[in-house]
Amino acid sequence: MNPDVASAIGQLRAARVLSEEQAALFDRVARRRLVSVRFEIRALLYAGVLLLTSGVGVLVAEHHRQIGPLAVAGGIGLVVAACFAWVIRKAPAFSWGAVDSPNVAFDYVLLLGLLLFASDLAYLEVQWSVLGPKWAYHLLAVAVIYLLAAYRWDSRAILSLALTTLAAWRGISLGLIPGSSGPLDAALRANALALGALYLAAAVLSVRLGRKRHFEDVYANAGLLLGLGALVSGALDDQAAWTAWLLALLVVAGLVMWLALGLGRSLYFAEGVVAAYLGLVRLLFEPFHSRESSIPFLLAALLGAGVLGLLAVAHRRMRER
Amino acid sequence: MRADSIAWERAAEVRAAAAGWRRAGFIDAATERAVGEAFPDPCMTPSLVWRALTAGAVAAIVLCTLTACVLAFGETASVGQVLLLLFAIACLVATDLLEASPRLARRGAAGATSVLGVGFLLGAFALFLSETLRLRLDDGIDALLMAGVVVCAASCWRWGNPLFAALAALSLLLLLGRMPHGRLLWLLVGAVLVGLAARRLDTHAWAPSHRLGAAVLVVAGTAAVYAAVNVYSFDEHLLENLARFTPDRVAPSRPLLVVSAIATAAVPLAVLAWGARSRRAFLLDTGIVLAALSLVTLRHYVHVAPLWTVLSLAGAALVLVALAVERALRRAPRRERAGFTAEPLFSDERRQQTLQIVPVIATFTPTAAAAERPGFAGEGGRFGGGGATEKF
Repeated sequence: MNPDVASAIGQLRAARVLSEEQAALFDRVARRRLVSVRFEIRALLYAGVLLLTSGVGVLVAEHHRQIGPLAVAGGIGLVVAACFAWVIRKAPAFSWGAVDSPNVAFDYVLLLGLLLFASDLAYLEVQWSVLGPKWAYHLLAVAVIYLLAAYRWDSRAILSLALTTLAAWRGISLGLIPGSSGPLDAALRANALALGALYLAAAVLSVRLGRKRHFEDVYANAGLLLGLGALVSGALDDQAAWTAWLLALLVVAGLVMWLALGLGRSLYFAEGVVAAYLGLVRLLFEPFHSRESSIPFLLAALLGAGVLGLLAVAHRRMRER
Repeated sequence: MRADSIAWERAAEVRAAAAGWRRAGFIDAATERAVGEAFPDPCMTPSLVWRALTAGAVAAIVLCTLTACVLAFGETASVGQVLLLLFAIACLVATDLLEASPRLARRGAAGATSVLGVGFLLGAFALFLSETLRLRLDDGIDALLMAGVVVCAASCWRWGNPLFAALAALSLLLLLGRMPHGRLLWLLVGAVLVGLAARRLDTHAWAPSHRLGAAVLVVAGTAAVYAAVNVYSFDEHLLENLARFTPDRVAPSRPLLVVSAIATAAVPLAVLAWGARSRRAFLLDTGIVLAALSLVTLRHYVHVAPLWTVLSLAGAALVLVALAVERALRRAPRRERAGFTAEPLFSDERRQQTLQIVPVIATFTPTAAAAERPGFAGEGGRFGGGGATEKF
């Protein structure tokens, strides 16, 4: 029970701010006579999908010789077909606007079908080497399938997976899989910048054209993470041209913060602030990298104070808008 | 907590509830405004992003200043002690001042200074024990854990941050684990924690954040009881390994193992039953996690089937159970059964959907393809896709 809310509901009903019907429902929830288990159902579905895909992965890895490639590919294909049949049967009609999922399980069954489809595709590639040395293109194919599914069935989670898979195709990891991250070399940095720009353009277009406007933040956050991440990596790791990278980083981060203020997007603003801070810390420490000194730390603390002031001003501006 | 802070918290609870009612379409903007006027909250509560940014900036300022002072005044242990103590006092005083100001209390800065202050204080105490008193390591660890319990519990009581409740419980359990009969102490103290904290979950006299701290203690106590009775923990002497004196490891007797195995199965079921009966979602969540751990324990001892079968069947079972529960609740009269519903009620559904993106990306994003990868060998090549990062 939430005793504060429960007692407030009584007061609000007495003051006629809430009607009897409203107060009765709110009171049931505040006193825990009605409890939502939606989060728990979601968690079970997520864990189920995780275990199922892991089980299929282990099966294929350990027993594919005994079972035979056709049986493995066919078996997984059958499960994929079952998932998609369910999704197609349950799915609401397509719309360029936001579409509510028909039920809480919908996103997870779709996710399961797509993940198994990707596994099946990868297995076929390994068995028959359709793409040969260009095997990584299967990631591109998977990303495109994810993208189409995300639009058709209006899933931001699947769209995120499509964008990270596309990044993986270009050699960049946006996931948290150990060993897949690390300093970027020049080629990867260029890939990250290009993809970041592409995703940001997609964010702008989705809003301008009114095509799945609610996908904007998924595109934009992925684009900013890639673009700003590449610039920060250049400013921190590229010994030869770090000043140029830093300049570019500060310009882009400043632009991002300015636009985020105008759009009222706090997460974009935060990404710009963090990226600019990291770049400036590199600048502060550069003259002292050969000797131990307290000065750069004091300067970094002052920079932090400046960031704090900027945050206070920016937050007030955003609220006023 | 200060009386003002408690009053602000209570008002914030009501206003947050009203925001949920409005989001779900049960009240209009005018009613929400009226609720806000009836329960004024002078505090500014920015979104999580702003609070995290502010906390990060404050932490950067404090840590960089401390490092600069250490470098300027010398890196000796005595200087370190003094500096840590001074910074701890400064941070703790700053926290108290920030918490007293409605304009600054919930902006993230107080959270950062409180965590840093407690960390510095314990760091200074650890240096004092090891460098000034030159205590033996075991004695020093015990004293530090004791201090951790006191400082974290006091911080939780003063500022209401449930993180400190968790840290106090963790320090207490680690301290008990180091004593003789640590397992028995975990069992007893865990049960006492659950018993005492559970009585306060709905106490109106307690501030909302203190009630949240009580919920954290219930979870910590339940986890302690489970860890004490779990058969794998028994078998592997997991708790005995915490003890400061390591006695000879004696294999537990068979009857004790049987009792432990039964308790491993019974505790999660009891927690789930308690959660269902009291309709507390956090107890259901705890029960689900403990049940999963018990199934993993079962799999460790009883190989009923190959790993892939267990994973696949468990996954399929979870999906089917979730679907069945959702369907049963959706088809029930008024979409509720025994006080449970699968409807979002007043929670922010869009926010939950956004949050679900994070674990999906974290676990299912394929491994990045190498930039240059000449000559793919079908046997032994590694691919990623759909979360499968298997070797063939």
